[in-house]
Amino acid sequence: MKDTVTLAHGAGGKQTSELIERVFKAHFDSPEFTADDAAVLPEIGGKLAMTTDGFIVSPWKFNGGNIGKLSICGTVNDLSCMGAKPLYMTCGFVIEEGFPLDDLEQIAAAMEKTAAEVGVKIVAGDTKVTGKGQCDGVFINTTGVGRIMENAHTSGSLAKPGDAVIVTGDVGRHGCTILIARDDYGIESDVDSDCAPLWHTVESMFEVTNDIHVIRDATRGGVGTVLYEIASQSNVGITLDREAIPVDERVKGVCGMLGLEPLYLACEGRLVIFAPAEQADALVAKLREGKYSANAAVIGHVTAENIGKVVMETEIGTQTMLPQPKGELLPRIC
Amino acid sequence: MNESVKKARDIITGYNGRPLRIMEVCGTHTHEIFRIGLRKLLPESIDLISGPGCPVCVTAVGFIDEAVWLALEKGCTVCTFGDLIRVPGTEMNLADARAKGAEVRPVYSPLDAVEIAKENPDKQVVFLAVGFETTTPSACLAAEQAKALGLKNFSLLTANKTMPNAYNALVGSADAFLYPGHVNAITGNSACIKLCEEKGVSGVVAGFTPSELITAMAVTIKLLEKGEPFFRNCYTRVVTDEGNKSAMALMERVMEPCDSEWRGLGLIPMSGMKLRAEYAEYDARIKYSMPEIKGKPNPACRCGDVLQGKCKPSDCKVFGKVCTPLHPIGACMVSDEGACAAYYQYAE
Repeated sequence: MKDTVTLAHGAGGKQTSELIERVFKAHFDSPEFTADDAAVLPEIGGKLAMTTDGFIVSPWKFNGGNIGKLSICGTVNDLSCMGAKPLYMTCGFVIEEGFPLDDLEQIAAAMEKTAAEVGVKIVAGDTKVTGKGQCDGVFINTTGVGRIMENAHTSGSLAKPGDAVIVTGDVGRHGCTILIARDDYGIESDVDSDCAPLWHTVESMFEVTNDIHVIRDATRGGVGTVLYEIASQSNVGITLDREAIPVDERVKGVCGMLGLEPLYLACEGRLVIFAPAEQADALVAKLREGKYSANAAVIGHVTAENIGKVVMETEIGTQTMLPQPKGELLPRIC
Repeated sequence: MNESVKKARDIITGYNGRPLRIMEVCGTHTHEIFRIGLRKLLPESIDLISGPGCPVCVTAVGFIDEAVWLALEKGCTVCTFGDLIRVPGTEMNLADARAKGAEVRPVYSPLDAVEIAKENPDKQVVFLAVGFETTTPSACLAAEQAKALGLKNFSLLTANKTMPNAYNALVGSADAFLYPGHVNAITGNSACIKLCEEKGVSGVVAGFTPSELITAMAVTIKLLEKGEPFFRNCYTRVVTDEGNKSAMALMERVMEPCDSEWRGLGLIPMSGMKLRAEYAEYDARIKYSMPEIKGKPNPACRCGDVLQGKCKPSDCKVFGKVCTPLHPIGACMVSDEGACAAYYQYAE
């Protein structure tokens, strides 16, 4: 077998089987992952959540992860936000001719490890190969199914005046990492992505209380965009405390140099949570015990005023508007 | 909020003296002052005006027209800081020129433009050199590097500006200036000290963190209360009286002062920088025998008045209606450092 992916690997013949054996079967082995046309799943009781997501991040490998890890985290986190335990996933690969097989294995290995961490099974997959220049390296789509916990009822429209706004960690690290990895600005930094699978983080919160109104993962557009979305979906205002928002010193440095707002940089392992204020301390205490949420903090509260807006209490004790989101700063962040 | 911020806050909110006009000269200050809501602390008797310190904002319409001419008529690859692409010219901006087939490339440093010229010998690359003493050294470095490499396909369209003569033009428009910390880090403080000693112009060099800004404001108010002309450096962790000598020497080697047109302020004698005769082959105006191009600003736009503190952005008829950050009519709505964009984003 050659060392790079060729068009023959995507043609459905012997070489396709070889690719599946060497890369995918080796890493996604489970009783449900068979050579048949579709995976057959056992009965799943209860309400289900289902989601799909495409991943085209450039570069495919970055400090703290790669596109494989990201493709599991993205879908796992979307399911988790609905209070659903991720159970099964599928993945579709679009690979550019000439992509090194060793790199593809690295990606598959990261997917295996990340999926195992939350106990989700990869049960079906697809591989297509494009000619050189028709796609950039490797693109992945994942679809996931999860079972919603009986006690969970979360939605972006359920935030209520008086709710505390919690983030599960420092903001903007994934966006900052990709920005540094692209090397467009000539800035060096060892900042690493926050990319992480958050099912156990969500699960731990429901050990504290079922009274959680909103859980959202802040991906493209960052925490700021999520807050504006929820303010509008729930018809409420949000007031933030600038000094309470956790930001890594390295991210602060890069943002300072480039004039960026960390709240608008993408995260891939951070949740924004709205819950009644009286639950906030216990939730934060529980989150701080978690692997991916040691810097969890209450960053603000929900108001009945300033509907649809996000207001910032500043470092000098005044209130200003958080400028409206302008869309993702960088293309191909996830 | 720490104790020193609280103290500064009390000085500002407690002021009950005569009416004061204070001008923040620097565009980054404009943005930060809005971001932290410093204006909201000011009593009615203190008017804080945004000055002409955003390089994109003060760039004259004619400069954009010149860049469009180079891109469309001469087929040059125009490299520029991103914000300039959306600044309106008389008939079109650089984004429109790009839609008509011109090659316009955003870069983060003039040295990137030199790299592009090096890698593309078949292209004529022009870098749009705007900015104050903070960015001019990097444009000079690009010219030096192009010369050292013997590049024949690189040039600069210059509209670099210097602060000291702009202060002269602004004398009388405010009781005190918040001087731009980044500029003074390069130039040192001598021009500001001279202004104070010879013309009685007061000012404070301010840093950029919330506590630095609020402290500089409180110091300015306290000293204005005393009534004597003053100069204070409140950004001593970065700014020294001497400034950055090697950056100044670099500028001196490559560029020389010239008259310059500022949007809103008009022509200010010796307030600009152009390439010296030794670098004439890198001067796009000379290289392409550029005809004189006079720009005409949109008559509905009041950026000129905003830049002189004669009106607030919200006094302009087109502000927030036809002129928004997505569809800017005037330069001050384009850059994040522009007063109009700051007013709009922070909904003042």
